[in-house]
Amino acid sequence: MQRATAPYFLILPSFLLAAAIILWPLKEIVSLSLHDVNRFGILRDFVGLEHFRVLFADPDFIAATWRTLIWTACVVLGTLIVSVPIALILNEDFYGRGIARILIMLPWAISLTMTAVVWRWALNGESGMLNSALRDLGVIGSNIQWLAEASTAFPMQILIGILVSVPFTVTIFLGGLSSVPEDLYEAAATEGAGRWDQFRLITLPLLRPFINIAFVLNTIYVFNSFPIIWVTTQGGPANSTHILVTYLYELGFRLGRLGDAAAISLIMFAILLVFTLIYVRLAMREEKA
Amino acid sequence: MTFRQKLGLLAGASIVAFSSSAFADSTVRVTIAEYSKGTGPYFQEAAKAFEAANPDVKIQIEVVPWDSLQQKLTTDISAGANADLSIIGTRWLLDYVSEGIVAPLDEHIKPEFKARFIDTFLTPSVMNGKVYGLPIAASARAMYYNKDIFAKAGISAPPATWADFKTDAEKIKKLGSETYGFGLQGKEIETDVYFYYGMWSNGGEIVKDGKSGLDSKAAIETAKLYKSFIDGGLTQPGVTSYSREDVQNLFKQGKVATVITAPFLSGQIKTEAPKLNYGVAPIPAGPNGDKGTYGVTDSIVLFENSKNKEAAWKFLDFIFTAEQRTKFDKIEGFLPVNAEEAKDPYFADNADLKVFTSLLPNARFAPVIPGWEDIAKTTSNAVQKIYLGQGEAEATLKEAAAKINATLK
Repeated sequence: MQRATAPYFLILPSFLLAAAIILWPLKEIVSLSLHDVNRFGILRDFVGLEHFRVLFADPDFIAATWRTLIWTACVVLGTLIVSVPIALILNEDFYGRGIARILIMLPWAISLTMTAVVWRWALNGESGMLNSALRDLGVIGSNIQWLAEASTAFPMQILIGILVSVPFTVTIFLGGLSSVPEDLYEAAATEGAGRWDQFRLITLPLLRPFINIAFVLNTIYVFNSFPIIWVTTQGGPANSTHILVTYLYELGFRLGRLGDAAAISLIMFAILLVFTLIYVRLAMREEKA
Repeated sequence: MTFRQKLGLLAGASIVAFSSSAFADSTVRVTIAEYSKGTGPYFQEAAKAFEAANPDVKIQIEVVPWDSLQQKLTTDISAGANADLSIIGTRWLLDYVSEGIVAPLDEHIKPEFKARFIDTFLTPSVMNGKVYGLPIAASARAMYYNKDIFAKAGISAPPATWADFKTDAEKIKKLGSETYGFGLQGKEIETDVYFYYGMWSNGGEIVKDGKSGLDSKAAIETAKLYKSFIDGGLTQPGVTSYSREDVQNLFKQGKVATVITAPFLSGQIKTEAPKLNYGVAPIPAGPNGDKGTYGVTDSIVLFENSKNKEAAWKFLDFIFTAEQRTKFDKIEGFLPVNAEEAKDPYFADNADLKVFTSLLPNARFAPVIPGWEDIAKTTSNAVQKIYLGQGEAEATLKEAAAKINATLK
């Protein structure tokens, strides 16, 4: 008896903490999403799933959902693809490595909102740095209005997303690479393995858990990431660059539709929960194997 | 949090600390929207002057950037943690009044107090016959034009009608120096208003007989007119990537020859582009001589749940004296709301401001309708689609009007 209750007793404090931070707001949001709510958060009639019905009939919401998935997939995969070679290079011993590492890490020290504001200026059609640089290089003849249309704005937002996710990801990978023992490579080299084989058969498998963790954390961050899109386009023009979190903010705090906003946040919560469950399943299967 | 806000909080905190001393009876908290970097310091100074005259009242100023004001108010009010007084956009006022969140001020308003105001600016915050807010900031819109560009293109006077304007813009285009005649805003706050300028000139209204005016002939004509400016290369390229500030910056840089905006641009030009040779003119008229400008006021309101209504009123009375108003409006570049203040030579002899005040008889204020922000957003989305060529003018506006009519019901 004593043994069976002790573990529960020991996790009780952290459970209570988690409950206060997660479960209580969750309960509040569920109740917001099921009631008619005025713009100041005062509950009125119970309306059941009305807010969800409104959302699923809203083409902007459906479009924002798909866009969120594209946004998350592109930024997360793009970040991984860019970060692995950067981490490999920074792991080599070369002259000026310290400075190179600092340069790569530097964007991390700047708040995301500030980075986004700088990019908003850089992407300005008439006086932006990007256009003047491209014109000086002779790449383009006339200015490109980057933020005027979703077809140019959204890819740029994805690129900015990748840029700001790289430092964190590279840090994780560098930690992973430093734990790979040097003698493995020496042994492989004497057996006649080339650089590519060493990467494929030694580095990548040993880096695997680190890639996994970077994948999951980035997915959660990027899925919920608000500043880049809000600062550069506020989801516009004509709602064409909204992702769920910016759409939620606009509905809740600009248009005062708190009930609809609460429903979106529950849907986002559900999507992330599914991501996490899939990840936990995969991770556990790997551990057993 | 900016340094200034921190400073404000610090000052607030020290006031709270002092207010526990024996003679401070009540603390009045005031939420202030930050119009410029001068806003916070002005209100801190006004609070100090007020406290010196009224030692039993402490004023606690909270400065919030405009962009997060609505969010702060929503969260504060839903938690019951709102201040006693707050600045709000007058266009939001109806939602506050219908929820019973703000208190009517009539019992405090003496005839002497009412007589201080220029009527045009007090009326937007009157609802159901009661005064629910006082106009803390007032502004109207006019067309700024670059005299040098106009002269270079051989144009002697600012355009009187939209037809003239288009001819002028074509002349400016022929200069061929990446200078554009019409600075057209197509992004973020007030994208809808920039569209209304033309719509009012064409004789349209935002709301008429309880229905949206977006599907009227005037609105459709305006959409086609603006689109012809865009397609003819008479506006800056990529209008949907330019917010109001962005277009104003293009004007300061001499890249667009005109911009329609508020009096505060004069002040910005004075410090940022002092060599710019510009003039201020009315917004061009339509074919039938119709004219319109947008009048805007922000209101300061007293919350129903305030426990210090008397003290809060005293502070309102103080900041609406001619002396305080003059100080504030000079800092911010707003129009005078106080009749005596308007006589101050700073306002009376200012050529730019004279144009703005002369337009007031034709000024339209945001209509008093529920869900104004929703309607503004729907309109902005529709005009963005038209500017981008993603929707045909008539169909897009009719769709938007139907959506707005559903909101108005």
